[in-house]
Amino acid sequence: MNKSLLYRGLLILAVTVLVVVAFWPPEKKIKLGLDLRGGIHLVLRVKVDDALRAERDKVAERLSQESQSSGGPALPMQPLSASAFAVDVPAGARQKILDVARAEFGEWQPEATGNRVVFRLKEDERRRLSDLAVNQALKTIDNRINAFGVAEPLIQRQGMTGDRILVQLPGVDDPERIKGLLKTTAFLEFRIVEGGPASTSTEVLAAYNGTLPPNLELLEGSVKDEVSGKSIGTQFYVVQKVARVTGRDLKSARPGLGQFNDPIVEFTFTHEAGQRFGELTQANKGKGLAIVLDHRVVSAPRIETRITDQGIIRGQFTQEEVTDLSTVLNSGALPAGIETLEERTVGPSLGADSIKDGIRAGVVGAVLVVLMMVVVYHLSGINAIAALVLNVAIIFGGLAYAGATLTLPGIAGVVLTMGMAVDANVLIFERIREELRAGRTARTSIEEGFKRAFASVIDTHMTTLIAAAFLYQFGSGPVRGFAVTLVIGLLASLFTAVFVSHWLFDLELSLRKRVESISIG
Amino acid sequence: MRFFQNANYDFLKYRKHWAVVSTLLSVLGLAVVVFHKGLNVGIDFAGGTQVVVQFLKPPTADDLRKSLAQAGLGDASIQGYGAENPDQFMIRTRLHGKGEEGQEQEIIGALDRIYNPGNHPAFDVNKGGAEGLAALLFEADPLQLKAADVTTAREAYTEVAQSVLGVRRQVGVVRDFQQLAGVKGMTPEVLQALQGRSYVGNFAVLSREVVGPTVGAELRQRGILAVVMSMLAMLVYIWIRFELRFGIGAVIALIHDVLVTLGLYALFGFEFNLTTIAAFLTLVGYSVNDSVVVFDRVREMLRKSKRMPFEKLLNDAVNMTLSRTILTASSVFLACLALLFLGGEVLRGFSFVMTVGVIVGTYSSVFVAASFALLWENMVQRRRDRGAPATPRAADGKPREAAKPREVKNGERKAAAGGRRR
Repeated sequence: MNKSLLYRGLLILAVTVLVVVAFWPPEKKIKLGLDLRGGIHLVLRVKVDDALRAERDKVAERLSQESQSSGGPALPMQPLSASAFAVDVPAGARQKILDVARAEFGEWQPEATGNRVVFRLKEDERRRLSDLAVNQALKTIDNRINAFGVAEPLIQRQGMTGDRILVQLPGVDDPERIKGLLKTTAFLEFRIVEGGPASTSTEVLAAYNGTLPPNLELLEGSVKDEVSGKSIGTQFYVVQKVARVTGRDLKSARPGLGQFNDPIVEFTFTHEAGQRFGELTQANKGKGLAIVLDHRVVSAPRIETRITDQGIIRGQFTQEEVTDLSTVLNSGALPAGIETLEERTVGPSLGADSIKDGIRAGVVGAVLVVLMMVVVYHLSGINAIAALVLNVAIIFGGLAYAGATLTLPGIAGVVLTMGMAVDANVLIFERIREELRAGRTARTSIEEGFKRAFASVIDTHMTTLIAAAFLYQFGSGPVRGFAVTLVIGLLASLFTAVFVSHWLFDLELSLRKRVESISIG
Repeated sequence: MRFFQNANYDFLKYRKHWAVVSTLLSVLGLAVVVFHKGLNVGIDFAGGTQVVVQFLKPPTADDLRKSLAQAGLGDASIQGYGAENPDQFMIRTRLHGKGEEGQEQEIIGALDRIYNPGNHPAFDVNKGGAEGLAALLFEADPLQLKAADVTTAREAYTEVAQSVLGVRRQVGVVRDFQQLAGVKGMTPEVLQALQGRSYVGNFAVLSREVVGPTVGAELRQRGILAVVMSMLAMLVYIWIRFELRFGIGAVIALIHDVLVTLGLYALFGFEFNLTTIAAFLTLVGYSVNDSVVVFDRVREMLRKSKRMPFEKLLNDAVNMTLSRTILTASSVFLACLALLFLGGEVLRGFSFVMTVGVIVGTYSSVFVAASFALLWENMVQRRRDRGAPATPRAADGKPREAAKPREVKNGERKAAAGGRRR
């Protein structure tokens, strides 16, 4: 055996060992996609306009205050878009307002036409705020998922600038719960009840002759059935507009049991907020304290005594609800609403069926291809089969190394690669046969066959690789998994057909003393 | 075994007839999609909601359709989920202009009213989550654990709940309470409590997918773009490696393959989804191979004999690579066949595209790609013979030198250059 043969053999052995070590044992080393192991795939969009609107309202409110505090008029705001508003300013006060705006709200570009001043959020500031909102939402979602306890969650922003968040949770199959958990803005407020509850809004507004004073607000809350906990109706409350204490003042929240063994949420305020809460409850003894979550009244217990740093939220919750409520309260409020753009949940039983089907098709496909190769190429067919087996091993090893996921289309990719990888062998073998037919010796025929088929082998691999590249760029999830498998398979096939197969022929030649013929059908 | 050892068929003799046949096939394929059946576009591209449910006592698809229509989901399309799973159905609805949110709640709610009628406890073992089940058991406390330690109790019941739902995760739909008797942590007391406070619903939801209109429209656009761009990339690659006319020939063959396969796909009514696009892209990558192998051979032969007429050259190249073409097509075809029949419901459409595509692609590489290269060649030749000034530029866009005797010369130069490059 000559040296080149030995070195090449060692290299092939090394590659084989390397890939087998990489993916063995497969059930541990090969990462399965959500379509195979079951799980939830969500694409969420952060409604950044919400965050912009909140900022707009805050600035408009402050502008009005500034105007009033310097003896000017109140400036009711007219919203134009999420990031623009207009105010009507009497001619005399205009210059003053513009000065205040420039000094205090530099991010807003004022534009005066007649009595009207339009404020627009500057573009870079708009982008900064949007970005901030998305990142904050990402963090909040991350916190909530972590609290929920999912193994290997994937939570990432889609693209660096977009408003989308991709969430993948393997092994979770309760999408309603997850969506509820993620989409709750969780904006908690404690407000003093001034009127209600009543079952219609007219009833509760009657005390105010139909119109509420500006410091009050009408809010809804649901009435729950005592036993089932299901919502059976709506109640209306009149509450103070200003919330002295909000969810931001919470130090922590946790699920607990109330005095009747009913699930409740216990919370603790930060020290400073506790004092504020103490003042608030002291001053409003006997009134209702509305616990408002995302602008709905959860419950409105009567304030019996001064409460400082601890409290509970009771609202005929289920165990699940209090767990989730504590989670969202702990993770902080979302800066903006969230909507689901795409949701895919695959149950584990379906995924297991898919794996079973995929493996079955793979095995049968492999057997068919192998049979064909042996029938057509006799002993040389075995050469191709060895290359084929190594090819599949390299695909799995490559997947394990790259940390790529195997998806159902990915399995199809493996099966397909087996069919296509044979092509390189066929190209070469047919060339060898041609050379043999032309009367060349076995050795020359093999050399020439490999040499001449090389261009075609490269070209055919390149074209499929190009298609796979487009596939990768186009797809996500399962389809991308397919593209990855295809790419690894093509590279592997290039290696096995050109290098391994050649080596096997050379090995055969070197082992036999006199070579008159080779078994190539 | 050897095929076509000394193949010498005149593939190109009837090229005009083949051109007519191929064009007809392509037009027919397109016509099926446009006028006859239309594509069965899945939610990936159209947007909508898709739910796969497994029944204990499965209704017929017709019953299911009628019941859902009565529940106000008349537009729902219902499909059996493979012959092997007669108890599984896929229910799909289009979006109803309600923004991005899907209809899965409506579908599941309607199924619930229809197939789980009457009075029963709130918790359904076939639909509920583990936390809900744990809470229910915790409340019932059949093992009398709460008195000792609340935390231990909660953990114990959570564990039982997990193993109960583990059964469902494995079998898809739980048959009855007896099936749960043997699971970890289950005792007769717990089972009794479970039976008292929950019920076994008639169906379980195996998967649910919602694609909003935004994502649907994006995927549609990106899918079409990916297929078109990949074809253009093939054109450019072949143009660089060979010649423009070969590239155009190969791409025309690809368009033919895609149209014919698409027509058959529509005819069989398979759902057109993301995986289908993946299949078509793979087909594009695979199908061009046959043409490339023939062109490679042409280039090689050009290097050897420059005097041979282009038609014979091409025909010989096709014949010489014929056994390879057939063998490779067979092996890919066999693999695809295995996928088509054994790969399961999700891969059915994908496998169909590949299985049909392999055959169509093999046909087209000879009768479309090679024929086109020859038709192009002859056309250029005739124009030159007539001395028409209408073709001042050669196929590759370079200014033609009037003295060149044959168009092939151009190809020779390029081919030879290509040969030297390696």
